Amino acid sequence: MAKEMVLSGLAASAQAAKLAKIEVACSYPIRPYTALMMELAKMVANGELDCEFIHGEGEHGQLSVVLGAAAAGARALTGSSGVGVTYAFETYSPIAGGRVPLQMCIADRALDPPGDFGSEHTDAMSARDQGWLMGWAETPQEALDNSLINYRVGEDHRVLLPQFVCQDGYFVSHIPGPVVVPEQAQADEFLPPYKLPHPLDPHHPVSHGPQIRPDQGTVIDMQRAQAHLDTPQVIKEAFEDFGRIFGRKYGFLDQYKTEDAEMVLFIQGAHAFTARHAINHLRAKGVKIGLVKLRFVRPWPTQEVAEVLSRFKAVGVVETSTSYGGAMRGGNLLHEVRASLYDAPKRPLTTSFMAGLGGEVIPLAEFYWMAEKLSSMIKEGKTRKTVYWVGYESED
Amino acid sequence: MFKIPKEKEVPLGCITPAPVAEQPMMITGNWREYRPVIDNEKCNLCMSCIIFCPDACWQLNAEEDEPVWNWKYCKGCLICVNECTSGALSKAYELDFEDGVVRLEKPF
Repeated sequence: MAKEMVLSGLAASAQAAKLAKIEVACSYPIRPYTALMMELAKMVANGELDCEFIHGEGEHGQLSVVLGAAAAGARALTGSSGVGVTYAFETYSPIAGGRVPLQMCIADRALDPPGDFGSEHTDAMSARDQGWLMGWAETPQEALDNSLINYRVGEDHRVLLPQFVCQDGYFVSHIPGPVVVPEQAQADEFLPPYKLPHPLDPHHPVSHGPQIRPDQGTVIDMQRAQAHLDTPQVIKEAFEDFGRIFGRKYGFLDQYKTEDAEMVLFIQGAHAFTARHAINHLRAKGVKIGLVKLRFVRPWPTQEVAEVLSRFKAVGVVETSTSYGGAMRGGNLLHEVRASLYDAPKRPLTTSFMAGLGGEVIPLAEFYWMAEKLSSMIKEGKTRKTVYWVGYESED
Repeated sequence: MFKIPKEKEVPLGCITPAPVAEQPMMITGNWREYRPVIDNEKCNLCMSCIIFCPDACWQLNAEEDEPVWNWKYCKGCLICVNECTSGALSKAYELDFEDGVVRLEKPF
């Protein structure tokens, strides 16, 4: 029987790693993600997990170690947070371009300056264009489930891409919640053994990561782009199998109280949890509001976003990352939302809310404020601003 | 689906069979400006060129007892000319040769 436990997000991720029978883990300390490696080290020391546990000399080293391990045919896991994620940046493109499907757990932390230990999606979002799969968990349960789903999708031979499996620092990574830890047999049924098509092997020598000519560059880029085009179908199959084996149903977009909604909050990660409660309270007052939650930022579900969001009158994108000087002057998600909707026959009014930055909580009152802004947009029939810094706007 | 011309195909992730001696998919000698030229009459088989070449572009042909130059990977650094003990090696401008690299149909 599957066990019900109370686990933090990172303890749940460690359980996922154990269920995935990872063979190599590489650590380097930075909070908050470090808790993952503490859990894994305990499992290895207690003999619960047969895994080579290596301590890297930095994040660049960490990623290089797991690249070597995964290239040699071992299922590998590493992780980081904040400036650790950016310190390893050079390695992300070659890992994806070399089509090595290792996994990196990111527990978000705001980037410097100045040093802020709070959660913010900017660290991982900065690496969203390197060819990795990427998505956020809302709860510790999703942290566990996303890890298994990502290994399964990334290692599929139609995909062969590394995966950033992200969770908000502290809100998910350190606040314990109920987690159903599945049986090993269930995990084995869902996740076949890792098999790279051309692993490093002394008996069948191959070259990984050779220098290429300029005229080969486009083709390599296209291979990666094609893999991202093929990935949604593989994700769909994984969702179906996951629902069948574990009993939890997932989709590209999770919808909450959207059937009769006029307006929705579009969000990813931990703050969706608070947003649901705000929506319950607003619904009790008669506000027709719902929530649409994003599961994968990469590959971005363009079709689904266009179909789902065009049903509403107004969409408020809750941004937990920054895109300084970007087209919308706020975060990253509104760019993609608007681009997805551009060719839709019916487009909702859209705006974005900068909230939960620097690790701040988004209290209920702020979600109420966002709902008010969306209401007045619907009333006026136009978008007055593309970005609101929630809690810091002089009344307009 | 993309359409990739046959001559531009690249293996998945650029993973190739490991070369035993040469990697024919990556000819690197074509940005050379000068090339070393050997006068076998003067060569005393000291092996300096074979030892010092950073790209292993000088190999000994044991049957003929003479060093053989590999044009495909020589970058024209001329270390061999500098290290030559007998004066058998000299440098020559690549443009002076009919098959010089600048005349290749596909320079890169």
